[in-house]
Amino acid sequence: MFTTHRVKRLALVLPTVAALVAGVGACSGGDDDPNSLTLIAANSPWAEGIKVLAEDYKAETGITVKVDTYSNEQLNDTYKVKLNAQSADFDLMAYQPQDVMREFSRNGWLADLSERVESDAAWNWQDFQQPARDAVTLDGAVYGVPVMTERHIMYYRADLLKDAGIEVPETLDELKAAAAKLDDPDNGVYGIAMRGARVPLVTQFSSFLYSFGGDFQDASGKATVNTPEAIAAYRFYGDLLKDSGPPGAANMGWVEASAIFAQGNAAFYLDADSQAYTFLDEANSAVTDTVAYAKFPEGPAGSLAYNIVPQAVGVNELSDKQDQAWDFLSWASNEANSKRLLNEQTAPVARQSAWDDPAATANYPEGLVDIIRNAGDGYISHDRPMLEQVARAREFVGGPAVAAIEGGDVASAAEQANTDFQALLDSER
Amino acid sequence: MTAQTARRRSPIDWVDANLKWLLTTPAVVAVFALIAFPIGYTVYLSLTDSARAVTRPYEFVGLDNYLYWLGDTQRFWPAVGRTAYFTGLALTLELALGLAIALLLRKTFRGQGLVRVFILLPLVATPVAVGMMWLLMFEPSIGFANVVMDWLGLPAQGWLSDKDTALNTLVFIDVWQWTPMVVLILLAGLSTLPEEPDEAARVDGANAWQRFRHITLPLLMPVIVAAAILRAIDAFKTFDIIYATKGRGGGSNNEAETLNILAYGEAFEYSQYGRASALLMLFFLLIVIVLAVLAVLRKKGNRA
Amino acid sequence: MTVASVRRRRRDRSARSVLRIAGILLVTLAFLAPLVWMLAASLKSNLEIIDPGRTFDFTPTFKNYDTVFGDQAFGPFIVNSLIVGTGSTLVALLVGVPAAYGIARYRIKNATVFVLLARIIPGVSLLIPWYFLFSQIQLVGTYLVLVLTHFFVTMPLVVAIMTSFFEGVPEELEEAAQIDGTSRIGAFARVVLPLSVPGIATATILSFIFSWNNFLFALVLSDQGTRTLPVAISNFTSYAAVDWGGLMAASVIITVPVMIIALVAQRYVVSGLTAGATKG
Repeated sequence: MFTTHRVKRLALVLPTVAALVAGVGACSGGDDDPNSLTLIAANSPWAEGIKVLAEDYKAETGITVKVDTYSNEQLNDTYKVKLNAQSADFDLMAYQPQDVMREFSRNGWLADLSERVESDAAWNWQDFQQPARDAVTLDGAVYGVPVMTERHIMYYRADLLKDAGIEVPETLDELKAAAAKLDDPDNGVYGIAMRGARVPLVTQFSSFLYSFGGDFQDASGKATVNTPEAIAAYRFYGDLLKDSGPPGAANMGWVEASAIFAQGNAAFYLDADSQAYTFLDEANSAVTDTVAYAKFPEGPAGSLAYNIVPQAVGVNELSDKQDQAWDFLSWASNEANSKRLLNEQTAPVARQSAWDDPAATANYPEGLVDIIRNAGDGYISHDRPMLEQVARAREFVGGPAVAAIEGGDVASAAEQANTDFQALLDSER
Repeated sequence: MTAQTARRRSPIDWVDANLKWLLTTPAVVAVFALIAFPIGYTVYLSLTDSARAVTRPYEFVGLDNYLYWLGDTQRFWPAVGRTAYFTGLALTLELALGLAIALLLRKTFRGQGLVRVFILLPLVATPVAVGMMWLLMFEPSIGFANVVMDWLGLPAQGWLSDKDTALNTLVFIDVWQWTPMVVLILLAGLSTLPEEPDEAARVDGANAWQRFRHITLPLLMPVIVAAAILRAIDAFKTFDIIYATKGRGGGSNNEAETLNILAYGEAFEYSQYGRASALLMLFFLLIVIVLAVLAVLRKKGNRA
Repeated sequence: MTVASVRRRRRDRSARSVLRIAGILLVTLAFLAPLVWMLAASLKSNLEIIDPGRTFDFTPTFKNYDTVFGDQAFGPFIVNSLIVGTGSTLVALLVGVPAAYGIARYRIKNATVFVLLARIIPGVSLLIPWYFLFSQIQLVGTYLVLVLTHFFVTMPLVVAIMTSFFEGVPEELEEAAQIDGTSRIGAFARVVLPLSVPGIATATILSFIFSWNNFLFALVLSDQGTRTLPVAISNFTSYAAVDWGGLMAASVIITVPVMIIALVAQRYVVSGLTAGATKG
């Protein structure tokens, strides 16, 4: 009987060993394979488009480009783990310039592409919109190719405004009045939906900050979130949500806030234009016919909203296939392919020529194309504090806005935030 | 010894003689091999001010990082408090409910296999997906939870978005998800209990509660303790549901920030590897201390 | 025993069983309800999901499942999770069950503590050193590395559960077998193991579940080819949209294989009832 147990055990052991051996054998390498490149990116329309383009690239050049995608949050975690361990497992990396470019470039993880972008006249670096080029340049060096752009716009319900006889707000004060008028919680409609969670709101708050004449930092890099303009902006943002926003606003990121608008429960929604798609998709939205777009309203200092690069693609400095990597990258971001991405994937690319081409923009929501074509003027190319420890800074500078939403003391919250923020900036000198 | 046993000398007898080592060495060696480098590395990093990238130059700062945390009344100590509260409450509820349910399901009944599998489902559904599902359900304006509150005539709550109720809501989610594990372990334990003592007590006239308290419970103790230790360790480190529902930093006011979330943020958001390593070491020590205290209490309990 | 007291006892017993059935139903409902919601959500469009008024009023559609198997090609991920789950569970049992027996019989408390250490260590501190180690020996992206790292998490679980089970098996039984001429290890295999089947079944189910759900290690150590389900789920969170329907459908699909395994294994969880008879 002992032997039958032994036989039973062997029956378990053998497949395990076989699986392990197979596992070792099935080493999916590709590192040393000169005919393959690996690109890591975040889930986005651009990444979807690249997967398609990669197939064409393979047909043309025989080089396989493997695309690994992650959600935004996991993307940065993955990079930090792999690059800290000096990994050469991947060659191209899509990243968020404002969040990590400073840090990654100073860590020596991003290859300096300045020469490459300047030297290729046919590829035409100048065709990329100015704010986009600024976004990927640090201390004179270029660390990536911008592949997506994003602006702060105002979504609104054309039907609700029309029924109430309200004109489309062109100033922030008009917006406040309109939101208050349309706020009808008893019938489940809120005046406005926006991000209210401390860290996520910072980027959307930035446009308010600029339009009130403030900024996170001044020209010399000093913290300036306690100026009268900043405090006014914080108060305004918080009051908007407090008076006309949904309950629990201080816990909302774009996911929750956009869901409220998509469901038809908000009259206004101010956030990135990249979310237009959710509202136009019948499976995702109840407002497909009633959503409309407008430029960010004017504040006391004008209409100064952000126009940023949410995704740029750089070359892993630790990779030994940098030339091939650049070849693919420049091919994928050339004029023809950019137009293709804009047209087929509605990826909001960074090339002016793509936006100027009506054929390319045919599938893009009408109201938006105008706003984007004129995005060069009056737009700010950053939407968050500019330093290495952006994440931490966001926690500080988002605090006063949360205080405003919750009806607390904004002035002292702003003082505290400024002190903390300045300390952080000092620690990086 | 007969000729038969004399013949069966070598392999089996050698195995028997060295059984103690043969049985336990593979496990110990495996754990050691996988854990030695990471622990050593973490301890090393915790004594430096490494930040941004571990490949950037750093200096030794000795115990500065540890002192920083121990003196941090803004994030560290509140996180300790929250971790203790969360773990204590969740563990107590899970053990009590788990035991009650296991007793309920103990006797054979029709469809028991199916019920036992259904009960397992909260455990099986991926934590990330479960977290997002609860996020939707507890959303104050579009979630189902407030609809139920409405049916019951109760006022709508902020649940996860209200900084006062967030942690308790998370305890609820944790209890929902992990009680099944306790049930499963206890059920198996109950099924291996001998029946004679129980039968004898019944013949002697003891009622159900007396039988449970004096016979079932003591016999089940080792299994209960095993389940408690396992759940305690995991509850301390709870990450997935908090991260999926409150995001980084445990919410706008850090209302759900436990030690693990704090450590994760310190490492992956702030890139402060030295400080994060020190925090992880402190966290590790904390759990060890709590378990040691529990072990001492158990020994005292056994002696009494 | 009078007729009246017999009738009373029968009434008490049936009252108790009605209560028991009610209790069982309530408990099952409490645990199942949110998952039924998830199932319903997987059959809705995103718009219907975020509308609490449409909880019960919607037209079922299989579009989300199409997305999961079509666009997102979940098939290979399921296979990956199965391979890693089975592999790590088997190894965990192979190593853990004997270890638990040794700890229980020879009362080596220190070994339990040491093995539990593996579970106490927060995953965050393991990520970078492990990635570094495994990339040096080129194991990143293989099944082996995932099996190893999951084994690290599940083996202590097996040891903890099985130790308590072995402690509950009276030593007299093994001694009796040994007097009959069996070796110690033979006694373990022939006498103790069969009595511990419920424990082993439990450890198997839980070990498999933990491996199935493990996210952190797979995130970093797998590549697109060996990616497991929890990581793949993140594919539904895109840059500017969350595909709730797809997410829910994927979650439903993810639970199915484990449900099947659990259904098979749970039969052994309570099988001790017959084994108990032989305890004499």
